Amino acid sequence: MILWVMPDSGARTKTDYQKLVERFKKEHPSAQITVQVLTRNQLWKKVFTLKHPAAGEVIPDLIQIPHYWTALLTRSGVAENLSKLDPGLSLSSALAPLRAHCYKPGTKDLYSYPWWFDMSALHYRVDHLKFVTKNPEEELSTWEGLLDVCARLQEYFKEVDGYYPMQNGDWRGSLSTRSTFMEVWGRGADLFTPDLRDTLIHTPAFKQGVKDYIDLALKQYMPILRERGSLGTMISGKASMLLSRKQGLASFHGRGRSRVRTLPVPRTGQQPQAYLSGMNLMINTVGKDKETALEFIKWSSRADNQVKYASAMEVFPAFEDSFEQLIFSSSQRLQTYATILASARALPNITITGTVIELLNKILAVSATQIVEGRFTQASLDIELDKAAKETQYLLSLYEG
Amino acid sequence: MFDKEAFTLFKFAKKLNQSFQNRRELLDCALPALRDLFKLDRVYFFNWQQERALLSLNLMCKKEYCMDMQEDISVLGEPDFLKTLLRDGIADSTELNYPAVYVLLRWKKPNMILDGEEVRTVRKDSVGVLRLERFRRNRHFTEAEKKLIKSVAAEISHNLTNTEEDQAKNQRLNIATALNDLATIFASSLRLSDGLELILQGVQKYFRFDRVRLYQTNYDGTKIKSILGIDISGEVARQTGEDLPEDERTLLKEIFSSGATYRSINNVVYIPLKVQRKKVGFLTFDNLLSRRRIDYLDFISLKQFSSQIALAIDNASLFERVQELSNYDELTKLPVRRFFSEKFSEEIYRSKRFDLILSLIVLDIDLFKQINDTYGHQIGDWALKEVSRVIRTSLRQTDFPCRYGGDEMVIMLPRTNDEEAKIIAKRLKERINAIAIPDRYTDGQRVTLSISQGIASFPQDGRNAEELFEKADKALYWVKDGRRGTFAVYREVADQVEE
Repeated sequence: MILWVMPDSGARTKTDYQKLVERFKKEHPSAQITVQVLTRNQLWKKVFTLKHPAAGEVIPDLIQIPHYWTALLTRSGVAENLSKLDPGLSLSSALAPLRAHCYKPGTKDLYSYPWWFDMSALHYRVDHLKFVTKNPEEELSTWEGLLDVCARLQEYFKEVDGYYPMQNGDWRGSLSTRSTFMEVWGRGADLFTPDLRDTLIHTPAFKQGVKDYIDLALKQYMPILRERGSLGTMISGKASMLLSRKQGLASFHGRGRSRVRTLPVPRTGQQPQAYLSGMNLMINTVGKDKETALEFIKWSSRADNQVKYASAMEVFPAFEDSFEQLIFSSSQRLQTYATILASARALPNITITGTVIELLNKILAVSATQIVEGRFTQASLDIELDKAAKETQYLLSLYEG
Repeated sequence: MFDKEAFTLFKFAKKLNQSFQNRRELLDCALPALRDLFKLDRVYFFNWQQERALLSLNLMCKKEYCMDMQEDISVLGEPDFLKTLLRDGIADSTELNYPAVYVLLRWKKPNMILDGEEVRTVRKDSVGVLRLERFRRNRHFTEAEKKLIKSVAAEISHNLTNTEEDQAKNQRLNIATALNDLATIFASSLRLSDGLELILQGVQKYFRFDRVRLYQTNYDGTKIKSILGIDISGEVARQTGEDLPEDERTLLKEIFSSGATYRSINNVVYIPLKVQRKKVGFLTFDNLLSRRRIDYLDFISLKQFSSQIALAIDNASLFERVQELSNYDELTKLPVRRFFSEKFSEEIYRSKRFDLILSLIVLDIDLFKQINDTYGHQIGDWALKEVSRVIRTSLRQTDFPCRYGGDEMVIMLPRTNDEEAKIIAKRLKERINAIAIPDRYTDGQRVTLSISQGIASFPQDGRNAEELFEKADKALYWVKDGRRGTFAVYREVADQVEE
């Protein structure tokens, strides 16, 4: 079986998967598994060509996908109907927010299965924040408060070479679309209207939400487009806060230098918002070893494997029991996530969601370059968002649902 | 004297001395070799996006393995670093707190361009960058090492040029094979619609577009006649031009008139289909959903292939017109007897197979010979045209009329019982009775036309085409026997007909 995954653990992804596969093979000794790591960009491009593989091209059997790709891959005929492969497969114990993203829209047929998920949060170094605020929890509850704390931190650490108040949570070191959702939602906008027939990307609230996030880079509170390793990091003491998922936070424990606290993402509106990103497993319709792929899916959803895998990858298990088991056996800091989950939202599982994210990624990539070049203007960003809105509206007319 | 540098280079070149399918395969071999040679902790390969002054990470190679990764680094804020890198081909990292050097790779990449109708290959400069890292702070890169790294980078660059050349050749070969396959599919399709469907499916399969659509236009290329489309699910959809949303129609007309063909930024390609400057339609391919850039080589290959499609569509349209002419009577514009018989047999078969009903009307113009003799053949022809016009415009879409011969006409009424057939016969009778011969031919007298009609129904009156026709004809003769201008259902007069 060939398994395609994304580099969730950065440079140690392959090692993590090696261990996972070894555990699976203990129970399934005859299974032959090859793990291939693809970046999300590559995976996005490749899933569109899977149905018609060229001669000599690798054909995966099982693929890790962001949960909101299910509708797209079902529609394009790439995702296998799991309910057909195993009518007994059920989502009854999966966490409620993850269930809708496994079905073909409008049906009760499963086309992907939850694997793990993650949520956005704000992490900060207690020892740094104490220099600039007496009540970080309250100050960091709003976006304005966050910017204010950033300004004070920048001033306090102005002598520290290469210091930024925020560590960049984007794994490319650029501006990240996923980091804009909480601000956009807080401003009362979204990618689509509730009936999913129209887009809201062109609305002032959406633009304001994006601007909230971009401000971090514009005001130089967060580094962008710099060499990985040279950036200010919380561990090295060259950053004090991080807007990010849970992933990567385990490193804070090992060093023992500083205490890190976790809070919900500062709100831009009345309520705190959290972005929930789920990762699902999908079986390729033209894969050759669907049997092992299905076995792997079922094995992965078992509580003991969920907990082990989630701990190794620093993510959350997708099933209720294992989630609770992980959360309540973790440090106090991580228990914040139980609260965050209550307000967490996912992107809708419709055909064009992935495409819209691609559009926004491009816009933010251009904005990042413009910021570095010192020629960014809000007007140019607004124009790009208006264009993206038109494109999105057109796509909605082509690919409803 | 032993030249260590030359020997090292020889060993490195030997490792790369093999055929690579693509750049990734080459780097998968070269980067670990580089890592081992210089005892590196990590090696990275970046693409240089010159227009954005950005280094975009592609591949990371560490001790155990190589892995695809992504990272963007702007080099704009680093003019000295950039200057050094471009001037010397190698530069130390100015930001990392451990030893790291960047080394430039320059190679040639073949690109196909369309020069008029000719396809030419031009070789463009490509630039990439390797970053070599050692995590231990005291393990700096010596000048001798840097010199050797540059030589090794030159070797990799040389191999990149060869690999890109081979890859382009393979790509062209694959496309040629694909187009050849498509042409074979097209040539072996008997019907145009089937052929086009297979072609579009083939294009989507080989070139892996999200959507493929064929727009056919009318003879002068001003209106969109129909659309045949295949979307990402692979489903075939047919649409007539009338159903197109207004904005899409306008957009497509604009594209047609402007001749815009390749819009790579929008991931859409439009290829007009022309035969000797006559526009017969156009093909559009898009990757709107996946946002994948459509390769220019794919575009020019399909553009060349499009002339075959255009010619086939044009031939088929001409064939359809010829067929149309031979199937329809020139005077009355009604289908001819042969065409009708084909359709009638098919419909009888369908009715038997699915237990459906069907009726048949046989009619002729009353006293037609007299009209010809009295007013001349010109008026006779006029009468035939007028009666046919009424028939054509009074029937439902599913009904099928024909000029059977002389002034005799037949109408097939699928899924119609005799009562419904009587309603249609009555409508025809009334409308034809309203037709008056122009009074300049009748000395001012009002002379109107009338028809006699006989009706038979399947399965009650007959179970095959001949039987049904015979019964309807008998009912017609019963009407003509002193009841002209009316109609009769065979079963209702059977006892009077079958004496």
